[in-house]
Amino acid sequence: MNFSKVHIMQKERDPLNLSSLPLAAPPADNWPEIKRALLRQSRRQRFLRLAGGSLAAAAAVTLAIGLFVQQPLPQPAEVRPAPDSLITLSQQLESSIRSYREEVGGMPTDSLIYQVEIEDLIAQVDEELSVSPDSTQLWSQRVNLLLDLSQLYENQLRRDYDRMASL
Amino acid sequence: MAKTPFDIELDEMTLARARRGNVDACETIFRKFQQPAFSVAYRLCHCRETAQEVSQEAFITAFRKIRQFRGDSPFWGWLRRVVVNHAISHLRKGPKMDPVELQDYHGKAEATSEQVGMAMDLESALAALEPEDRAIVWLHDVEGYNHKEIAGLFGKTESFSKTRLSRTRARLKKLLEAGPSLQCAHEALAR
Repeated sequence: MNFSKVHIMQKERDPLNLSSLPLAAPPADNWPEIKRALLRQSRRQRFLRLAGGSLAAAAAVTLAIGLFVQQPLPQPAEVRPAPDSLITLSQQLESSIRSYREEVGGMPTDSLIYQVEIEDLIAQVDEELSVSPDSTQLWSQRVNLLLDLSQLYENQLRRDYDRMASL
Repeated sequence: MAKTPFDIELDEMTLARARRGNVDACETIFRKFQQPAFSVAYRLCHCRETAQEVSQEAFITAFRKIRQFRGDSPFWGWLRRVVVNHAISHLRKGPKMDPVELQDYHGKAEATSEQVGMAMDLESALAALEPEDRAIVWLHDVEGYNHKEIAGLFGKTESFSKTRLSRTRARLKKLLEAGPSLQCAHEALAR
């Protein structure tokens, strides 16, 4: 493609030549803040991995003791909600989260990372649900994660409200 | 077609290290893309404080989700999408606006006073637009987004994007022809 063709295409695409405006320069270097957030997040993940490992070890020990004693304790009747009610609850939570999102102002970095983590986990559960759409366990997990997310937004809205009230 | 300022190459090694959570690699990426990220956020939000906030949030999200980048398109396109999504979401929450300033033109020895004057007229005309219109014209004309992509960002139809773009271009043209006095009046009305 020759230069004049490129020039004509560019003129059509950007007739007012907005791309001639210079890049805006950031007022400050925000890397230190981003780095702090990334390090906090990796510490949290390490902690969760360790906590997960300890829980798995504790579960294995409990199982081993149970097998050794072979006298299972009487189990309380399990009350499991039906997937239908969990799906409805999940839809209701999503709708309230959507409206929170529209109201809430900027999130502090900590909450933002937590929000992204919860959303990642929801995406993982959704992937598993696409394979087993009727799993009560997966729907329960989804509802719990949505409750966490909703709580996060409620806290932020409360903080926004307090800040406005103090003005 | 002119390249968007985001179009910066990133070597595979840095990307791979960042995907493994290496903070130094993340810093390299940040240093490469800091200015275009801030700049596009500023062009969409028209407020330096908001743009700084938006670009910071966008980088944190991008590094957090960098494993989701599949590598079937350039990295800059993926990162720009993250920044633009954050900016649009801030825009929806109610925009704040800075007055038009000369600070991005300071120290630009290569720019003549006439070029600076023309750029300032363009800046003032952009400032007189509705935030959504400004975002649409910038994303289409400078960043090279197509109507389908713009429609997706705003949750509207392609014809919405086409209509708004042509109306906004006409308005910009009129503002530029009218010169600074009319733009000042528009800015004063907007305040």
